[in-house]
Amino acid sequence: MISHHPSPETLLAHATGTLAAGHAVVVAAHVQGCSQCQAEQARLEAVGGAMLEGLAPEPLAAEAFARVLARLDDPVPEPPPPPRRADLALPKGLDLPAALHGAEIGNWFWIGRGLRYSRVRLPWAPEQNVMLLKVAGGRKVLHHSHGGMELTQVLWGGFHDGIGQYGAGDIGEADETTTHQPIADPEGCICLASLEGGLRLPWFTRLRAG
Amino acid sequence: MPRVTTLGAPDPDAAALAAMLTQVSEARDRDAYAALFKHFAPKVKAYLRRGGMEAGEAEELTQEVMLTLWRKAGYFDPARGGAAAWVFTIVRNARIDAARRQRDVKLMGAPPEEADLAPSAETISLNAECQARLRGALNSLNPEQKQIVQLSFFSDTPHAAIASALNLPLGTVKSRIRLAMAKLRLMLEGLS
Repeated sequence: MISHHPSPETLLAHATGTLAAGHAVVVAAHVQGCSQCQAEQARLEAVGGAMLEGLAPEPLAAEAFARVLARLDDPVPEPPPPPRRADLALPKGLDLPAALHGAEIGNWFWIGRGLRYSRVRLPWAPEQNVMLLKVAGGRKVLHHSHGGMELTQVLWGGFHDGIGQYGAGDIGEADETTTHQPIADPEGCICLASLEGGLRLPWFTRLRAG
Repeated sequence: MPRVTTLGAPDPDAAALAAMLTQVSEARDRDAYAALFKHFAPKVKAYLRRGGMEAGEAEELTQEVMLTLWRKAGYFDPARGGAAAWVFTIVRNARIDAARRQRDVKLMGAPPEEADLAPSAETISLNAECQARLRGALNSLNPEQKQIVQLSFFSDTPHAAIASALNLPLGTVKSRIRLAMAKLRLMLEGLS
């Protein structure tokens, strides 16, 4: 049962293509597992279709159709080689979301007691700050303030933050106005997260037993 | 050169467009493709121009979009939504790719196509009547809400564009978008 969805304006930005590439991957991971958001996205895309249909046509160059016609039989460009993906030894039954196809996945590395980090590099947007995080059961995670939006999709396990409980399939959306203190559930938590801004280390500064 | 039988024909409705796209997908039908090109290409170009793209670049990208339409027609699923909605997603992705290439030509790869992903359990199908309702709903928004929805779809930087067009502080843009979308959703209830 999914109880936390992206905000309406984030889902709108995703459907219209203006969400930053890192956030877009995390929202896509959520939408893939959430029938409610799939239906909402389809509705927004239908609105996009209606907007497109409603526009006054702008004529193309006279030779445009002939030029495209001449290219119809061109070979389709080769897809890029599959990216490097570390073996993260994920819990049984957990597959990485399809939204991460094409992304490079780094090894886990230890960044604090009970906390591991894997860099997710998007070859099409390498400047984006996307990561997988593994938090041990009962670990309390303190936020420090950050400049922009932060999205966290729970892939496995869960956490609570004093305001809500987040389980697998839920997405947490926080911005500079949010202050919360996530604590991993006893079985721990694996999340996919994106942070606004350039590449930097994760936002966790201090850890202590919950 | 295929015969263009549709020249001078009335503009195809949503059902006809979906049928033509299916023809392109299943039979690689170039006549159907020509009709789709005639219908969609000028709207795609208009869409890109509305987003502030310069005319020459919009022309080039429109041709790319129409080529993609030919190549990816097999991904079109009429049970999932209308032809216009599907073309919209191609334009959207092309615009994102173009912005990326502009920043760095060496960037590789692309996010997975929606259609490669697991099919949705709960999909909506929009027939011609529903599309008319959708247009009606968009037209019955108040001017401010209509502008918010339009800028959300057309602009590269919708939040800044909405703030400037409506003379709002950036901080209140989110809540205005939320209100406009709630109004739209209310009118679209039952579309799914």
